[in-house]
Amino acid sequence: MSTYVYGITARSHTAVPEGTTGVGEPPEPIRILTEGDLAAIVSDSPEGLRPKRRDLLAHQNVLAQAEASGCVLPMRFGSVAPDDASVTGVLAERAEHYLERLRALDGKVEYNIKATHVEEAVLHHVMATNAEVRSLAEANRKAGGGSYEQKLQLGEMVASAVKAQEAEDAVAVQQALEPVAAAVATGPESTGWLANVSFLVARDSAQEFLAAVEALRSSHPHLEVRANGPLPPYSFVEPGPAEPAEQAGQREAAAQE
Amino acid sequence: MSVVPAQQTGGGGGSSGLYDVLELVLDRGLVIDAFVRVSLVGIEILKIDVRVVVASVDTYLRFAEACNRLDLEAGPRKSPGLPEIVGEVTESGARGKSKGALSGAAQTVSDAFKQARDEGSEEEQPVRRTRKTATTRRKREEESE
Repeated sequence: MSTYVYGITARSHTAVPEGTTGVGEPPEPIRILTEGDLAAIVSDSPEGLRPKRRDLLAHQNVLAQAEASGCVLPMRFGSVAPDDASVTGVLAERAEHYLERLRALDGKVEYNIKATHVEEAVLHHVMATNAEVRSLAEANRKAGGGSYEQKLQLGEMVASAVKAQEAEDAVAVQQALEPVAAAVATGPESTGWLANVSFLVARDSAQEFLAAVEALRSSHPHLEVRANGPLPPYSFVEPGPAEPAEQAGQREAAAQE
Repeated sequence: MSVVPAQQTGGGGGSSGLYDVLELVLDRGLVIDAFVRVSLVGIEILKIDVRVVVASVDTYLRFAEACNRLDLEAGPRKSPGLPEIVGEVTESGARGKSKGALSGAAQTVSDAFKQARDEGSEEEQPVRRTRKTATTRRKREEESE
């Protein structure tokens, strides 16, 4: 029977509540494997496991439960070891590394921020701040809406202004929130957002972070800002630069303006 | 006003807070070489493009129409996206999506998961993400105009 691994934690912090269940149908009971100072949160791996909604939920739910009693290094969904012994083998082999990560992330949680434009509000913003767009719109309106070509010209100009605004707002979102975060990581590649950024936040400063999110919403009414957290530190399990170099460069450029 | 998402996606709605974090569950987190990963075939979650701004004639015309109708004198505070409008959207059923903007608090993951469990009807379907709110919101705008 292969072993599904949810996360790695310190042996002293393995209080997963009685009866917590994991992936599979029926859900597999959660077990704890220990090795030295470390513990792995695991269950049997069901045959033919696929990333179904229920299983993704179960994975996240187990980690959320475990996180309540102490720092957990969350595994990516779907990590399956051949057996229990190979799990404890990995814990033994890389003990120092995992203990270091647990210390580094202790007391910290991840908040994922996604921002989109509220379309009508951003159009308003573009009109209010861009004289060229405003005068063209005015001319079109006086001409009873304008010709097809005039409409296209206005629309294209607006679309490009909105795109520029997206880039500007992406920087604004990060700048507003990173002062209250311990680290920043750009979210997984996905479209549909002008910003998808994760912040590592000390539990103690969670209120401060959420207040900064609220302030961002007030100062940027044309943005819809969604905050999801506290989460296990998915985006921060591996050490390394807190953010891609490209991003740091953008920020420097912004700071020089 | 009509919205033409770049790529329409079907499938389940609701529990949007959950969908917001699933990409982290699938794409972030610790990977250990010695373990195998289950196949992610069928997962569309990372490849969905619903961005409204698309360089197309349709978009340009739509923006032009929208700008012609905008009342600058009313000020941006009259624009949709403000809490009272978000409130309407919430009532119309896109709860998870607008919750954060409404309450100002981060939607806790446990809430999202509880909600998802309560809904529970689409468990057998592969994960899909829809942007219900965006379309709902715009429908509302249409109705209010």
